Amino acid sequence: MQVFVEGVGMTKVERHYEKGLSHLAAEAAFKALDEAGRPGGVDYIVVANALATLQDEQLDLGGYLAASLGLRGVRALTIEAGEASGLAAAQVAASLIESGMADKVLLVGVEKVTEFPSGKAYRHLQMVYDSESRSYYNVGFAADAAMLTRLYMETYGVDRELLSYWPALMHNNAKENPYAMLNFAIKPDRVSKALAIAEPLTLLDTFPLGDGAAAVVLSSEDSSSKPMARITAIESATGLGSIELSDDPLIIDSVAEAYKRLSSLTGVDRFDFIELHDSFTITAMLVLESIGVAPKGKAAEMVAQGSFSPTGSGPVANPSGGLKARGHPIGATGVYQLAEASLQVAGKFPGVQVRGAKRGLVISMNGLGSNSFVALVEGV
Amino acid sequence: MGSVRAGVHGWGAYIPIYRLPMAEIARIWGWHPEQYRGLAVDEKAIAGPDEDSVTMGYEAARNAIARAQVRPREIEAVFFGTESKPYAVKPSATIVAEALGITPTTMASDLEFACRAASEGMRALTGMVSSGLIKYGLVIGSDTAQANPGDVLEFTAASGAAAFVIGPEKGAAAIIEDSATFVTDTPDFWRRSGEPYPLHGEGFTGEPAYFYHIESAVKALFERTGLRPSDFKYAIFHQPNGKFPVKVGQDLGFTLDQLKEGLVTPMIGNTYNASALMGFAKVLDKAKPGDRILLAPFGSGAGSDAYSILVTDAVEAKRLLAPTVEQYLARKVKVDYGFYAKSREIIYVIK
Amino acid sequence: MSMELSIPRFWRFKHSIYRLQAARCRSCGRVHYPPKNACPYCGSRDLEPVELPKRGKLVSHTTVYAVPDGSRQYSPIYVGLIDLGLTKVVTELTDIADPSQLRKGIEMEAVLRKARVDRDAGLIYYVLKFRPAMGVPDVQA
Repeated sequence: MQVFVEGVGMTKVERHYEKGLSHLAAEAAFKALDEAGRPGGVDYIVVANALATLQDEQLDLGGYLAASLGLRGVRALTIEAGEASGLAAAQVAASLIESGMADKVLLVGVEKVTEFPSGKAYRHLQMVYDSESRSYYNVGFAADAAMLTRLYMETYGVDRELLSYWPALMHNNAKENPYAMLNFAIKPDRVSKALAIAEPLTLLDTFPLGDGAAAVVLSSEDSSSKPMARITAIESATGLGSIELSDDPLIIDSVAEAYKRLSSLTGVDRFDFIELHDSFTITAMLVLESIGVAPKGKAAEMVAQGSFSPTGSGPVANPSGGLKARGHPIGATGVYQLAEASLQVAGKFPGVQVRGAKRGLVISMNGLGSNSFVALVEGV
Repeated sequence: MGSVRAGVHGWGAYIPIYRLPMAEIARIWGWHPEQYRGLAVDEKAIAGPDEDSVTMGYEAARNAIARAQVRPREIEAVFFGTESKPYAVKPSATIVAEALGITPTTMASDLEFACRAASEGMRALTGMVSSGLIKYGLVIGSDTAQANPGDVLEFTAASGAAAFVIGPEKGAAAIIEDSATFVTDTPDFWRRSGEPYPLHGEGFTGEPAYFYHIESAVKALFERTGLRPSDFKYAIFHQPNGKFPVKVGQDLGFTLDQLKEGLVTPMIGNTYNASALMGFAKVLDKAKPGDRILLAPFGSGAGSDAYSILVTDAVEAKRLLAPTVEQYLARKVKVDYGFYAKSREIIYVIK
Repeated sequence: MSMELSIPRFWRFKHSIYRLQAARCRSCGRVHYPPKNACPYCGSRDLEPVELPKRGKLVSHTTVYAVPDGSRQYSPIYVGLIDLGLTKVVTELTDIADPSQLRKGIEMEAVLRKARVDRDAGLIYYVLKFRPAMGVPDVQA
């Protein structure tokens, strides 16, 4: 794939009560467009968003953002795939360029999750799971991850404290990232003592509720002047996305499949860093194990030993702080990950910079893997 | 009654797990123990936050159908007797019928006559079975009884359900030999439409209501059948508290031995439509073939039924096909007034 | 008159949720719940309805404190993954007086309970929830 990143922009992930969808989108998009040298001829705007209808009573967000960003007339698409909307939108944006339908695409991920009190947000977030199985109940957004955590602990003999190293690592990375919502360090032993949300998970095992926007300007080879990164490939797969339908819920079928498709496409299986989907501590563990970067049952141990820390044997996991500490503005998150990966391989990440980073993997998924996306970002 | 008789093919009960001690109610509302000791009730069963008459009736009915050993589709009438319907308009009977696989070719409706609605349903089913209109019918008595917080009624208003599958005499665990009903317009206890709690006449609920109607119904039955108290092994009455059923029984000539097995209120309070009927289920859990049972439910408003029921050989095999009343009585956990208030929604909450 | 809970959405699903009616694939034999339009395992469209047993073993569970809107009265909400033999289901658990009794392998049975209530005047969604088994018999249609 010959798709190049010319500019990126991000807002801090935060409870931006004073900024709505279009304001946040503009903040990120204008930065990305300016960095790309204000190119004329943006052919498409592709917007990643999941909750605009539920939070802001807005349909066709892409259509309305076009005029709002001064791009009236541009071709617009709004892409939704739950928590994976960002990378799903990137997949569409990249294929528009790859197919020759577009030379320049403005990819914008934007999300508001704070328009209502948290109880309503939990009801909205529960929608990332299968509606027929979950919506008649009140399981909330963390119950599946909690049950998976219990299964992981029982199957592999891993205790609660070993799982606490991941959140601590995320916070440690995020404290350097000016765009992160939770930019403060925590010690592992604080995790199990934090507020219980769904036992054995605590508030520190999951992402904070925050709004945000990230944008990336993508160009075809011919249209790019000073690209900062290249998106070599994006692959995806759907899966059962269900703890009860999976024969082995401790492997996320769609992540494994999407990664397998990407590796066969690119022939690449070693990375300097991975920006992965750690909606919960357990999802991070299962993603690492599903792509084979950690053997089954060993991810937590490896995290605790520092294998994935910036100074570890690598690959470096979530130098941005991940969903846990940088934040997870649901539909926008995949675009944040892409922007961060691009900055890493360009040597320009304002937080923890992975030394000599040339190749990064980006993984995003919805729920427990109903839909998973994997992208390879490389330096130019 | 005609020559074709009906009988009980299956019986079932349900009691929620939660128990609220009388002392807890007294603590909150400032009652002196002597003011409630006379009720002869220790604690009352209360439905949890995710329960209502429909969910309780469902479980009692499931137990009854299992004991009846019939397929749900064979049931052609479902009567749901209650005074605590979750919907004032929309039958609870169809929800339970659908959830149990009884629908669609069935009669179904919710009946109201305070605590005897289900009993009226039982009498109606015996007629429908005897006439051949249906082969099997299901009657459910289920209530999450309400009381004005702070009223003496609060001590005894409890939650529970009982259900019976009525069918032809052949194969029945107990035959309904005969029955009688005695009703008058007597406003001893009522709940106005739209009001959350009932009002009652205190002492007026006794002689002019409870005692008069039960005694009249039982005497009418004795006259029709020529039966006397000594012909019965068990006598089960509506039980608003632990004292009334013993008094009315003894007034009618029954002994404590005949009365005690059918008592449930001292342990769980007054479950309204499931009051006498749960006592009946409890007796069927241990009655022997050949035992004769007097069953006399009462409902305010007011009226009473009296049944003469003969237990058959078929009862033994059916007993263990579902949990017994004793098993539900033993399954309990004490809660406090706050849990009860939240669970029964007597706290004002913006939803 | 604003309704939060849809009428037809629940109504057309009631057979599934009242009776745990699943689907069995005639091609590969696997069972899944709730029923889809094709087998999620082998892709075949040749499915037939099958009612799941109402008894099974607890595989995993959690106690939820971060409860969604409209469910505060049920908090904390217990959720369980239950193996019914033919397939597994995830439901809320009920009658949990003592959460320490929840352990992998214990017998659970399904009972009908309220799950969602649309404020004061709207619909009540009744569902099957599982509780520690006391021997309530299964009555198959």
